[in-house]
Amino acid sequence: MATREAGKKMIMLKSPDGMEFEVEEAVAMESQTIRKMIEDDCADTAILIPNINSKILSRVIEYCNKHVPTTGATGAAASDTVAPAALAEDLKIWDAEFIKVNRATRFNLIQAASYLNIKGLLDLTSQTTIDTISDNSLEEIRSFLSTKNDYLPEEEQTIRRENQWAFQ
Amino acid sequence: MISQPATMAAAARAAATHLLPGLPDEVVVWEILVRLPPKSLLRCRAVCPAWRRATSTRDFLLTHHARQPTLPLLYGYNCAGDVVESLDIIPLDNVAGADQLQYSARLGIRSVYGHGLVLQDSCDGLLLLSIYSTHFSIYNRATRQYAPLQQLNGFMPLGMYRHGPTGEYRLLLHPFRRLMAPDAQDGAYVFSLGSGQLPRYIGCSHTQEFLIYLSAGSVLFHGSLHWYMNHIIMVFDTIAESFRSMRCPIVNGCVDLFEMGDMLGMFSLNYEGTSIEIWEMQDYEAEIWALKYRVEFPVAEISLQCGKFDHHWEVIVTSWDSDVLVLLQFDDWLLQVGMEGQLVASFHRKGLRPTRLRLKQSLVSHAFFSTLEGYVVNGSPFIR
Repeated sequence: MATREAGKKMIMLKSPDGMEFEVEEAVAMESQTIRKMIEDDCADTAILIPNINSKILSRVIEYCNKHVPTTGATGAAASDTVAPAALAEDLKIWDAEFIKVNRATRFNLIQAASYLNIKGLLDLTSQTTIDTISDNSLEEIRSFLSTKNDYLPEEEQTIRRENQWAFQ
Repeated sequence: MISQPATMAAAARAAATHLLPGLPDEVVVWEILVRLPPKSLLRCRAVCPAWRRATSTRDFLLTHHARQPTLPLLYGYNCAGDVVESLDIIPLDNVAGADQLQYSARLGIRSVYGHGLVLQDSCDGLLLLSIYSTHFSIYNRATRQYAPLQQLNGFMPLGMYRHGPTGEYRLLLHPFRRLMAPDAQDGAYVFSLGSGQLPRYIGCSHTQEFLIYLSAGSVLFHGSLHWYMNHIIMVFDTIAESFRSMRCPIVNGCVDLFEMGDMLGMFSLNYEGTSIEIWEMQDYEAEIWALKYRVEFPVAEISLQCGKFDHHWEVIVTSWDSDVLVLLQFDDWLLQVGMEGQLVASFHRKGLRPTRLRLKQSLVSHAFFSTLEGYVVNGSPFIR
């Protein structure tokens, strides 16, 4: 059963490696996937989060904790005390720190954000990869992918010709 | 462009590997590649055959298009004397403080400066261009496709839209040049791109003068085309193919409509050209409007910045994401004014013009292009 603590509804999240995380329902509902489970009443007992190990899940919860709108009973955001711009700036700095992780962790976070459907986290974690692909030469992208160029030279020429303007 | 299938050998090689080692292909395609800007997406097709296949399916390209921002569109004439040598298409993709404008396509079409070459309409990445109001053509700047629309000779476009039930791109038209369309009855016509048919007469009880008024430009919203006209809004339902009218606030000055996030917006410029009021239609069904902003232009600051003041400027109100954007243009200046009446950005470039159009880029390859006579991809008139 979901427990209550200081008037806040709590939810138990379980990772496949057996760790359990008790989080506020509002925090868990930052994930659209979990929100749907709760709304469909499929979340009576602990929710098992498949494919996301405890290390990654704890970081996801950390993110959701930071990003959940701190609300009163009415659901109004707590921006009455802090200016929204300052709040946004604070979040931006926090996000920049949060994403200073190695590539393997970042990819795990992308997968977790994708499965749990947490838009903000997905935007944050995928941006580095998007920038890498956008800003680098083909050779650099291939090395980032640890893939070799398996086009035949004439095949690559055809593609470059088809999309000529993108290479100017 | 839907690409040619890669060679069998390449396909076999690619099947054994992931698109991006460490991530499931599904995540790479639908969370990463789909977020790339069009130019980066085209470049990355040359990374390896697997990436090319993943980024060439119709589903992928439609999703990619849906995620593109809708950007205000500018254009710039490049002149040699009085002759326009080419036209740059410039999506305004960096509003705050941008002093560098990057053009994203250059079309080598010659015309006389000041008139001639006009961007008529924009819909789902497609641009309708006219030269001397007689010769029309359709472009997709992201796929570098171009085709003249000879069937439209003698007609004037009133709006471009995607017809929901058929998925066809269509133009609402009226006959304009009697010499070129001598047999055309007065009234409204619909032309489907790629249909191979001439414009189809749909009747219309309104007068020719009325229809000419509508050619100043429409706003496509909620599947209908909208125009402001003498204290009312005219609406063309693209499914029923009929006109009706809607209420709007009674205001003085020069009025036009624009799309404002998920609402229809309207602005009025006072006759002195020094301030605007911006309204939003908060309830489309009930036709309820509310005054959203009143902006006084920073006339003194503008005079200082540009060395002169000329209130015979052209004023365009458009939107970028959910932000309202006010652009003033006179001489070779383009100025952006914020909602507090502050000067946000200024651009100085000869031949730079704002438009009331916006562009949502699309790499979807539309079948109609190849059916049009004179269809060109990656060639003239695209210079870059």
